[in-house]
Amino acid sequence: MPRPSHASPQTLRLFEALLAEPARWRYGYDLSRETGLASGTLYPILMRLSAQQLLDTGWEASDEPGRPPRHTYRLTTDGIVLARQRLAAAARKQPGTAAAFVPRKA
Amino acid sequence: MRRAARAVLVAAVRGRRARGGPWGEAALAEFDQTTGRWEAVRWAAGGLRAVWHERRARIRTLPARVRIQRAAVIAALLMIPAAVVVNQFVLTPRYIPSGSMEPTVRVQDRVVVDKVSFRLTGIRHGDIVEFDSPLTPGAPMLKRVIGLPGDTIECREGRVYRDGAVLDEPYLEGPAATDDCGAPVTVPAGELFVLGDHRIVSQDSRQLGMIPQDSVDGRLLARIWPLS
Repeated sequence: MPRPSHASPQTLRLFEALLAEPARWRYGYDLSRETGLASGTLYPILMRLSAQQLLDTGWEASDEPGRPPRHTYRLTTDGIVLARQRLAAAARKQPGTAAAFVPRKA
Repeated sequence: MRRAARAVLVAAVRGRRARGGPWGEAALAEFDQTTGRWEAVRWAAGGLRAVWHERRARIRTLPARVRIQRAAVIAALLMIPAAVVVNQFVLTPRYIPSGSMEPTVRVQDRVVVDKVSFRLTGIRHGDIVEFDSPLTPGAPMLKRVIGLPGDTIECREGRVYRDGAVLDEPYLEGPAATDDCGAPVTVPAGELFVLGDHRIVSQDSRQLGMIPQDSVDGRLLARIWPLS
Protein backbone atom coordinates (compact mmCIF):
# COMPACT_ATOMS: atom_id res chain seq x y z
CA MET A 1 0.00 0.00 0.00
CA PRO A 2 1.44 3.39 -0.88
CA ARG A 3 2.17 5.72 1.96
CA PRO A 4 -0.52 8.35 2.49
CA SER A 5 0.47 11.89 1.61
CA HIS A 6 2.26 14.02 4.21
CA ALA A 7 3.52 11.01 6.15
CA SER A 8 7.24 11.05 5.49
CA PRO A 9 9.44 11.06 8.60
CA GLN A 10 10.60 14.56 7.65
CA THR A 11 7.05 15.86 7.34
CA LEU A 12 6.13 14.21 10.65
CA ARG A 13 9.01 16.00 12.37
CA LEU A 14 7.80 19.26 10.94
CA PHE A 15 4.27 18.54 12.16
CA GLU A 16 5.62 17.88 15.64
CA ALA A 17 7.42 21.19 15.63
CA LEU A 18 4.42 23.11 14.32
CA LEU A 19 2.00 21.44 16.72
CA ALA A 20 4.08 22.39 19.76
CA GLU A 21 2.40 25.78 19.72
CA PRO A 22 -0.14 25.65 16.87
CA ALA A 23 -1.20 29.28 17.19
CA ARG A 24 2.26 30.83 16.98
CA TRP A 25 3.72 32.05 13.70
CA ARG A 26 7.03 30.31 13.05
CA TYR A 27 10.11 31.24 11.02
CA GLY A 28 11.70 28.92 8.47
CA TYR A 29 15.12 29.10 10.07
CA ASP A 30 13.80 28.25 13.53
CA LEU A 31 11.81 25.32 12.13
CA SER A 32 14.95 24.12 10.38
CA ARG A 33 16.93 24.25 13.63
CA GLU A 34 14.19 22.59 15.60
CA THR A 35 13.55 19.74 13.16
CA GLY A 36 17.09 19.33 11.93
CA LEU A 37 15.80 19.53 8.35
CA ALA A 38 18.04 21.30 5.86
CA SER A 39 16.48 24.22 4.01
CA GLY A 40 16.32 22.19 0.81
CA THR A 41 14.13 19.61 2.54
CA LEU A 42 12.11 21.97 4.67
CA TYR A 43 10.98 24.47 2.03
CA PRO A 44 9.61 21.93 -0.48
CA ILE A 45 7.53 20.42 2.34
CA LEU A 46 6.28 23.87 3.36
CA MET A 47 5.42 24.65 -0.27
CA ARG A 48 3.46 21.42 -0.59
CA LEU A 49 1.53 22.00 2.62
CA SER A 50 0.81 25.58 1.70
CA ALA A 51 -0.37 24.68 -1.81
CA GLN A 52 -2.94 22.34 -0.22
CA GLN A 53 -4.12 24.94 2.27
CA LEU A 54 -2.73 22.99 5.20
CA LEU A 55 -0.36 25.80 6.08
CA ASP A 56 -0.92 29.53 6.47
CA THR A 57 1.89 31.80 5.42
CA GLY A 58 2.54 35.42 6.18
CA TRP A 59 5.24 38.06 5.99
CA GLU A 60 6.51 39.76 9.09
CA ALA A 61 8.72 42.81 9.07
CA SER A 62 12.11 42.04 10.49
CA ASP A 63 12.85 43.43 13.95
CA GLU A 64 16.25 44.59 12.73
CA PRO A 65 16.16 47.59 10.40
CA GLY A 66 17.41 47.05 6.86
CA ARG A 67 16.65 43.36 6.88
CA PRO A 68 14.01 41.98 4.51
CA PRO A 69 10.66 40.84 5.94
CA ARG A 70 10.57 37.23 7.08
CA HIS A 71 8.17 34.57 5.89
CA THR A 72 6.16 32.96 8.70
CA TYR A 73 4.18 29.75 8.94
CA ARG A 74 1.33 28.28 10.94
CA LEU A 75 -0.86 25.22 10.38
CA THR A 76 -4.43 25.93 9.29
CA THR A 77 -7.31 24.21 11.06
CA ASP A 78 -7.27 21.50 8.38
CA GLY A 79 -3.53 21.29 8.78
CA ILE A 80 -3.76 20.77 12.52
CA VAL A 81 -6.32 18.00 12.06
CA LEU A 82 -4.23 16.27 9.42
CA ALA A 83 -1.00 16.65 11.39
CA ARG A 84 -2.54 15.10 14.49
CA GLN A 85 -3.92 12.22 12.39
CA ARG A 86 -0.60 11.50 10.74
CA LEU A 87 1.33 11.63 13.98
CA ALA A 88 -1.19 9.38 15.71
CA ALA A 89 -1.12 6.91 12.81
CA ALA A 90 2.65 6.83 12.90
CA ALA A 91 2.71 6.29 16.64
CA ARG A 92 0.17 3.45 16.33
CA LYS A 93 1.99 1.71 13.54
CA GLN A 94 5.38 1.80 15.11
CA PRO A 95 6.02 3.64 18.31
CA GLY A 96 8.71 6.16 17.73
CA THR A 97 8.41 6.43 13.95
CA ALA A 98 8.55 10.15 14.03
CA ALA A 99 11.76 9.91 15.97
CA ALA A 100 13.19 7.34 13.57
CA PHE A 101 14.52 10.11 11.41
CA VAL A 102 17.55 11.33 13.28
CA PRO A 103 18.51 14.78 12.05
CA ARG A 104 22.04 15.87 11.56
CA LYS A 105 22.97 18.47 14.13
CA ALA A 106 23.11 21.74 12.27
CA MET B 1 32.34 32.60 1.88
CA ARG B 2 29.11 33.83 3.44
CA ARG B 3 28.91 36.67 0.98
CA ALA B 4 29.53 34.35 -1.95
CA ALA B 5 26.83 31.95 -0.75
CA ARG B 6 24.43 34.83 -0.32
CA ALA B 7 25.25 36.21 -3.78
CA VAL B 8 24.60 32.83 -5.39
CA LEU B 9 21.29 32.48 -3.60
CA VAL B 10 20.23 36.03 -4.54
CA ALA B 11 21.10 35.36 -8.17
CA ALA B 12 19.12 32.11 -8.13
CA VAL B 13 16.10 33.61 -6.39
CA ARG B 14 15.84 36.86 -8.29
CA GLY B 15 17.74 36.47 -11.52
CA ARG B 16 17.18 39.74 -13.30
CA ARG B 17 13.98 40.51 -11.45
CA ALA B 18 13.79 42.89 -8.52
CA ARG B 19 12.11 40.24 -6.40
CA GLY B 20 11.94 36.50 -6.75
CA GLY B 21 9.12 34.11 -5.94
CA PRO B 22 7.82 34.12 -2.36
CA TRP B 23 9.51 30.88 -1.34
CA GLY B 24 12.87 31.87 -2.73
CA GLU B 25 12.57 35.22 -0.98
CA ALA B 26 11.61 33.42 2.23
CA ALA B 27 14.75 31.28 2.16
CA LEU B 28 16.77 34.37 1.33
CA ALA B 29 15.35 36.39 4.22
CA GLU B 30 16.22 33.60 6.65
CA PHE B 31 19.80 33.51 5.36
CA ASP B 32 20.76 36.31 7.73
CA GLN B 33 19.80 34.13 10.68
CA THR B 34 22.49 31.59 9.97
CA THR B 35 25.72 31.70 11.89
CA GLY B 36 29.08 30.57 10.65
CA ARG B 37 30.12 29.95 7.12
CA TRP B 38 29.21 26.27 6.78
CA GLU B 39 25.73 26.76 8.07
CA ALA B 40 25.36 29.63 5.64
CA VAL B 41 26.56 27.53 2.73
CA ARG B 42 24.23 24.67 3.67
CA TRP B 43 21.33 27.07 3.98
CA ALA B 44 22.07 28.60 0.58
CA ALA B 45 22.42 25.18 -1.04
CA GLY B 46 19.06 24.10 0.35
CA GLY B 47 17.66 27.44 -0.75
CA LEU B 48 18.69 26.64 -4.31
CA ARG B 49 16.70 23.44 -4.04
CA ALA B 50 13.70 25.41 -2.81
CA VAL B 51 14.06 27.80 -5.75
CA TRP B 52 14.21 24.85 -8.13
CA HIS B 53 10.99 23.42 -6.67
CA GLU B 54 9.28 26.78 -6.88
CA ARG B 55 10.36 27.21 -10.47
CA ARG B 56 9.10 23.77 -11.43
CA ALA B 57 5.77 24.52 -9.79
CA ARG B 58 5.54 27.78 -11.74
CA ILE B 59 6.35 26.07 -15.02
CA ARG B 60 3.60 23.51 -14.39
CA THR B 61 1.08 26.34 -14.33
CA LEU B 62 2.08 27.60 -17.79
CA PRO B 63 -0.15 26.66 -20.73
CA ALA B 64 0.77 23.38 -22.39
CA ARG B 65 1.58 25.15 -25.65
CA VAL B 66 4.26 27.30 -24.02
CA ARG B 67 5.77 24.35 -22.18
CA ILE B 68 5.95 22.28 -25.37
CA GLN B 69 7.49 25.18 -27.26
CA ARG B 70 10.13 25.63 -24.56
CA ALA B 71 10.89 21.92 -24.47
CA ALA B 72 11.28 21.91 -28.26
CA VAL B 73 13.66 24.87 -28.20
CA ILE B 74 15.78 23.32 -25.42
CA ALA B 75 15.84 19.98 -27.23
CA ALA B 76 16.95 21.67 -30.45
CA LEU B 77 19.71 23.59 -28.67
CA LEU B 78 20.98 20.41 -27.01
CA MET B 79 20.82 18.47 -30.25
CA ILE B 80 23.17 20.77 -32.16
CA PRO B 81 26.28 20.03 -30.05
CA ALA B 82 25.21 16.38 -29.76
CA ALA B 83 25.02 16.13 -33.55
CA VAL B 84 28.43 17.75 -33.97
CA VAL B 85 30.01 15.27 -31.56
CA VAL B 86 28.29 12.27 -33.17
CA ASN B 87 29.26 13.41 -36.65
CA GLN B 88 32.86 13.96 -35.61
CA PHE B 89 33.50 10.83 -33.58
CA VAL B 90 30.77 8.23 -34.07
CA LEU B 91 28.98 8.18 -37.39
CA THR B 92 29.59 10.33 -40.40
CA PRO B 93 28.10 10.50 -43.87
CA ARG B 94 30.35 10.33 -46.92
CA TYR B 95 29.86 11.02 -50.59
CA ILE B 96 31.58 8.50 -52.87
CA PRO B 97 33.45 10.29 -55.67
CA SER B 98 35.09 7.22 -57.20
CA GLY B 99 34.12 3.95 -58.85
CA SER B 100 36.91 1.93 -57.27
CA MET B 101 34.54 0.02 -54.96
CA GLU B 102 31.92 -0.84 -57.57
CA PRO B 103 29.65 -2.71 -57.55
CA THR B 104 29.48 -2.68 -53.74
CA VAL B 105 29.56 1.10 -53.50
CA ARG B 106 28.86 3.06 -56.66
CA VAL B 107 29.95 6.50 -57.75
CA GLN B 108 27.67 9.20 -56.26
CA ASP B 109 26.42 6.90 -53.51
CA ARG B 110 26.16 8.32 -50.04
CA VAL B 111 27.27 6.05 -47.23
CA VAL B 112 27.62 6.14 -43.45
CA VAL B 113 30.99 5.41 -41.92
CA ASP B 114 31.12 4.01 -38.41
CA LYS B 115 34.10 5.44 -36.58
CA VAL B 116 33.79 3.54 -33.31
CA SER B 117 32.97 -0.14 -33.71
CA PHE B 118 36.14 -1.22 -35.50
CA ARG B 119 38.12 0.02 -32.53
CA LEU B 120 36.12 -2.32 -30.31
CA THR B 121 35.84 -5.39 -32.53
CA GLY B 122 39.09 -5.02 -34.45
CA ILE B 123 39.41 -5.03 -38.24
CA ARG B 124 38.44 -8.28 -39.96
CA HIS B 125 38.82 -9.79 -43.42
CA GLY B 126 36.27 -8.36 -45.82
CA ASP B 127 35.63 -5.17 -43.86
CA ILE B 128 35.42 -2.07 -45.99
CA VAL B 129 37.51 0.52 -44.19
CA GLU B 130 38.02 4.21 -44.63
CA PHE B 131 41.56 5.52 -44.27
CA ASP B 132 43.59 8.53 -45.12
CA SER B 133 44.87 8.33 -48.69
CA PRO B 134 48.66 7.83 -48.82
CA LEU B 135 48.65 9.78 -52.10
CA THR B 136 46.77 12.88 -51.03
CA PRO B 137 46.71 13.24 -47.26
CA GLY B 138 43.37 14.51 -46.02
CA ALA B 139 41.37 12.68 -48.68
CA PRO B 140 39.58 9.60 -47.32
CA MET B 141 39.73 6.35 -49.30
CA LEU B 142 37.43 3.34 -49.03
CA LYS B 143 38.83 -0.17 -49.68
CA ARG B 144 38.17 -3.77 -48.70
CA VAL B 145 40.53 -5.47 -46.21
CA ILE B 146 42.10 -8.53 -47.90
CA GLY B 147 45.13 -9.17 -45.75
CA LEU B 148 45.63 -8.77 -42.01
CA PRO B 149 49.06 -8.88 -40.34
CA GLY B 150 50.65 -12.31 -40.92
CA ASP B 151 48.65 -13.12 -44.08
CA THR B 152 50.53 -13.82 -47.30
CA ILE B 153 48.73 -12.35 -50.30
CA GLU B 154 49.32 -13.07 -53.98
CA CYS B 155 47.26 -13.16 -57.16
CA ARG B 156 47.35 -15.55 -60.13
CA GLU B 157 45.16 -15.53 -63.22
CA GLY B 158 43.13 -12.66 -61.84
CA ARG B 159 42.29 -14.34 -58.52
CA VAL B 160 43.49 -13.52 -55.02
CA TYR B 161 45.19 -16.11 -52.80
CA ARG B 162 45.53 -15.72 -49.07
CA ASP B 163 48.09 -18.06 -47.48
CA GLY B 164 47.92 -20.15 -50.64
CA ALA B 165 44.11 -20.59 -50.63
CA VAL B 166 42.01 -18.91 -53.31
CA LEU B 167 39.57 -16.34 -51.94
CA ASP B 168 35.87 -16.63 -52.61
CA GLU B 169 34.84 -13.10 -53.52
CA PRO B 170 31.11 -13.03 -54.30
CA TYR B 171 31.06 -9.22 -54.08
CA LEU B 172 33.07 -8.87 -57.30
CA GLU B 173 31.49 -8.36 -60.69
CA GLY B 174 32.60 -9.77 -64.03
CA PRO B 175 35.49 -12.11 -64.76
CA ALA B 176 38.39 -12.52 -62.35
CA ALA B 177 40.53 -9.46 -62.95
CA THR B 178 42.84 -8.98 -59.99
CA ASP B 179 46.18 -8.47 -61.70
CA ASP B 180 49.45 -6.73 -60.96
CA CYS B 181 49.86 -7.93 -57.38
CA GLY B 182 53.56 -8.52 -57.87
CA ALA B 183 55.39 -11.09 -55.81
CA PRO B 184 53.61 -12.72 -52.85
CA VAL B 185 53.75 -10.40 -49.86
CA THR B 186 53.33 -11.03 -46.16
CA VAL B 187 51.48 -8.28 -44.28
CA PRO B 188 53.66 -6.88 -41.47
CA ALA B 189 52.31 -6.15 -38.01
CA GLY B 190 50.28 -2.95 -37.81
CA GLU B 191 49.49 -2.82 -41.54
CA LEU B 192 46.73 -3.94 -43.89
CA PHE B 193 46.55 -5.18 -47.47
CA VAL B 194 43.51 -3.56 -49.08
CA LEU B 195 41.88 -3.87 -52.50
CA GLY B 196 39.03 -1.99 -54.13
CA ASP B 197 36.20 -4.17 -55.43
CA HIS B 198 36.55 -2.71 -58.92
CA ARG B 199 39.87 -4.48 -59.47
CA ILE B 200 40.53 -3.15 -62.97
CA VAL B 201 40.50 0.53 -62.01
CA SER B 202 41.12 0.53 -58.27
CA GLN B 203 44.30 2.06 -56.95
CA ASP B 204 45.04 0.06 -53.82
CA SER B 205 47.73 -1.98 -52.08
CA ARG B 206 48.83 -3.32 -55.49
CA GLN B 207 50.13 0.14 -56.35
CA LEU B 208 50.31 1.94 -53.02
CA GLY B 209 51.60 -0.85 -50.81
CA MET B 210 50.25 -1.71 -47.39
CA ILE B 211 48.40 0.93 -45.45
CA PRO B 212 49.11 1.44 -41.75
CA GLN B 213 46.29 0.36 -39.43
CA ASP B 214 46.68 3.67 -37.61
CA SER B 215 45.43 5.50 -40.66
CA VAL B 216 42.09 3.63 -40.57
CA ASP B 217 39.43 6.07 -39.51
CA GLY B 218 36.21 4.11 -39.85
CA ARG B 219 34.34 1.18 -41.30
CA LEU B 220 31.58 1.29 -43.89
CA LEU B 221 28.28 0.78 -42.10
CA ALA B 222 25.57 1.23 -44.71
CA ARG B 223 24.56 3.02 -47.85
CA ILE B 224 22.00 5.74 -47.15
CA TRP B 225 21.51 6.99 -50.72
CA PRO B 226 20.13 5.80 -53.03
CA LEU B 227 17.66 4.03 -50.73
CA SER B 228 17.00 0.33 -51.47
